[in-house]
Amino acid sequence: MRGALAIFRKDMSIEWRTREGLSSVLVLGLLLLVVLTVAYDAPPEAAPALAPSVLWATFLFTGLLGVQRGFLLERENDCLSGLLVSPIDPAAIYLGKLAANVALLAVMQLVVVPLVGLFLHLDLMPVLPGLLVVLALGNLGFAALATLFAAISVRVRAREVMLPLLVPLLIGTVSATRSVLAGGLTLASDALGVLACFDVIFAVAGWLLFAYVVRD
Amino acid sequence: MRRVFPAVTCVTMLAALFLVFMVVPIEQQMGIVQRIFYFHVSSAWMAFLGFFLVAGASAVYLWNGSRGADRLAEAAAEVGVLFCSLVLVTGPIWARPIWGVWWTWDPRLTMTVILWAIYASYLMLRAFGGEDEAVQRYAAVLGIIGVLDIPIIMVSVRLLRGMHPAVIARNEGGSGLVDPWMRIALVVSAVALILVGSWLMQLRVRASRLAEEMAALRRETEARQGEVA
Amino acid sequence: MHFPYLFAAYAVVWLGLFGYLLRLGRRSRELEEKLRYLRRQLGR
Repeated sequence: MRGALAIFRKDMSIEWRTREGLSSVLVLGLLLLVVLTVAYDAPPEAAPALAPSVLWATFLFTGLLGVQRGFLLERENDCLSGLLVSPIDPAAIYLGKLAANVALLAVMQLVVVPLVGLFLHLDLMPVLPGLLVVLALGNLGFAALATLFAAISVRVRAREVMLPLLVPLLIGTVSATRSVLAGGLTLASDALGVLACFDVIFAVAGWLLFAYVVRD
Repeated sequence: MRRVFPAVTCVTMLAALFLVFMVVPIEQQMGIVQRIFYFHVSSAWMAFLGFFLVAGASAVYLWNGSRGADRLAEAAAEVGVLFCSLVLVTGPIWARPIWGVWWTWDPRLTMTVILWAIYASYLMLRAFGGEDEAVQRYAAVLGIIGVLDIPIIMVSVRLLRGMHPAVIARNEGGSGLVDPWMRIALVVSAVALILVGSWLMQLRVRASRLAEEMAALRRETEARQGEVA
Repeated sequence: MHFPYLFAAYAVVWLGLFGYLLRLGRRSRELEEKLRYLRRQLGR
């Protein structure tokens, strides 16, 4: 556990010092958001239908980019071998990186979500608690898989391999967001259940399988 | 044994075809097109079997590095994707005359597409991932994760019903098996296709083994030429 | 009534299975030939 924390702090401090990864991710997110919303100037009634898809499409693509850049940095200075030689258990490395990715994605969400509200003329304040739950669950599920697969894509030309696996997550988050926007958490309980299961299954799977991905 | 297995497969296949075309009574609501259902559902079962095999073989491979397991995983994935493709093609052919559309985002169809995509990307990873040894390990991880996704996919696509209220009410073909001969035909078709799938996997594994042997020999030839020169 | 569809579906299944089978057979035969050649090269 201490190992995981150390990795987490290391990744966060690298990110904080350069802020390179975060800024490029945010810029891409903003661009994507603008493209998606400007092209279809939605009337206010259509916004609740459009918002979930726009939100999660943006999240997906920028998230993919952000997590992979994190691993690319490791590979550039051959940090990964260094990490493996250290006494830290690979599973702990996974947890640390997972936490760092969750944090990174959360920052991205904090910027993107209000903008979605702004561009689509949606008032998000009344549904905020429900929305935060959905965002958190979606974030964790995505990060669980992305952390595992980013390690793979470093060595092998296989970036999009993860996408079909994420479809149930996307279905769940879009559905949950839609329910939350319509009437709060209780409506979304089915979708939230799906998301919670997804998160648990893939966080555990990633934790168990990470060792096989970085072993060398 | 090598002669017997294909023979048994052929016989079972013929039996299935006979049952489907000659014995089974005409279904009342869908007419003759309903007979597609026997091979459609059987293909789906074989595809699932294949995908579970990929996961199992991948796990064994990760556990003890068994080359045989890795070969089996790849073969099972290919055969699984093959049968899944058959499901996705026969499905619309069945749907068009019955429902009037080629496609709907029906939960089961959606799930099949996602599964197809997952294992197609598995095959692509193996084919285009490069020469690195690690590709096989990564593919194994993907193979296991793919199967873990299955229950989640099944649950999540049911959420789609709420999202797309225009989903056509499905006349459940699976439970419409009134006549006992229909049930028999389905079982025999399933067995036939599973046997075919297993046979194809066997052949595929053999091809893999030949390819590996050839690569090893080629390396040895090149090494020797290096020595002579 | 809907015969063309029934035919199409079974045709697809047959073509798919047979096509894969033929492809495997052809590949196996090529591999065996190359193997024989290589083995002869190595004097086995």
